[in-house]
Amino acid sequence: MELSVKPAGNVVVVEIRGSVDGLTADKLLQTLTEQVQAGHVRLVADCAGLDYTSSAGLRALLGTVKQARQKGGDLRLAAVRAPVLKVLELSGFTSILKYFPDVKDATASFG
Amino acid sequence: MSPDSASRSSGNRRRVAVVIGSGSVKCAASLGLINVLRREGIEIDMLVGCSAGCLYATLIASGRSVAEATDMTRRLWTSEITARRDHKSILRALLPGMMGFDASFGLRDDSLIMERLRAAFSDERIERMQIPLHLAATDFANGNQVVFSSGSVVDAIRASMALPFMFSPWRIGDSLYIDGYMSDPLPVGVAMKEGADIIVAMGFESPYQERINSPGRFAFQVSSILSNNLLKSQFSFHGLAHHAEVIPILPEFRQRIRLFDTEKIPAIIEDGERAAELQLPYLLRLLEAEEQGH
Repeated sequence: MELSVKPAGNVVVVEIRGSVDGLTADKLLQTLTEQVQAGHVRLVADCAGLDYTSSAGLRALLGTVKQARQKGGDLRLAAVRAPVLKVLELSGFTSILKYFPDVKDATASFG
Repeated sequence: MSPDSASRSSGNRRRVAVVIGSGSVKCAASLGLINVLRREGIEIDMLVGCSAGCLYATLIASGRSVAEATDMTRRLWTSEITARRDHKSILRALLPGMMGFDASFGLRDDSLIMERLRAAFSDERIERMQIPLHLAATDFANGNQVVFSSGSVVDAIRASMALPFMFSPWRIGDSLYIDGYMSDPLPVGVAMKEGADIIVAMGFESPYQERINSPGRFAFQVSSILSNNLLKSQFSFHGLAHHAEVIPILPEFRQRIRLFDTEKIPAIIEDGERAAELQLPYLLRLLEAEEQGH
């Protein structure tokens, strides 16, 4: 899994490439947590290059959503590919997370 | 955790479970998953089944080949098993005061499916399978999930496939059991309790009706809505609450699969294989990391 963090106005976009599983989820959670702790609570996860997530990846996303919302922000997903979206739907994540077709829309949703 | 599970988990090797959820004939896709796991030499430490998934979990746990399992399914699972009405049960429903309605209600006579289950599995026992096996059903008295890790294979499969209204609940000892999907359509929690570290979970959503033109279809629609929502909530809870790594395998079927489409089993197995191949790289990486001591 590869991560890159890019500011986009008042939002921080975290691009996730590859797969998030038990071996890589800690790195994702750490990166996202660092952003929240630095006060960047409006986060967009760019999932265009994310090809897989296991339950460990879902736990990392959920942990970040909780932290960001407690501080008045949110984690929103962009460009989620079909196989990953299916896992998110099965896990009920689509009912608690906002997701958008692309990074532009996700970033704009913060207003 | 059962004594057997405890003894098998004594080393540091991460334990792999395969969980096969409810899904009628679509559960044959699990044979495609098994083809892939066997080809890669991935050892399965336990199998968990629910509803029709019990049938396949048992066939795999007993060491039968995919060809044998396919053949047995075709003989066992035909539309004839639901063809005969249970007239006594229907009369009891229509005239409960006169005929005496009770919890053994089911619209279809189960004698043929029992005959076929007995012909297929005879007196096989769950605890004597080659791979530890756990079959999940639902206690009709209180809705709790019940897991059979020992006992008669025929009884446990019949209990877990007791589709409400269609087949009567099944009595084992003093208790009545109904279909496992009523408590958890994809029971990954059973594998977690039994000590699995990596759970390969093949699940299926219940299909929605194209047209609702009979009370039966109406009932199936209601059942699908409930079970699909239950599937999501249970899967979500277990995935988030436990440390185990759950790898969901959700086959995409190239054609609509109806309840008794056993002639489509070869295509269903192919779809299962394709879905398993997609997740295989992650499973292999987890297992490789374990070998390297991560």
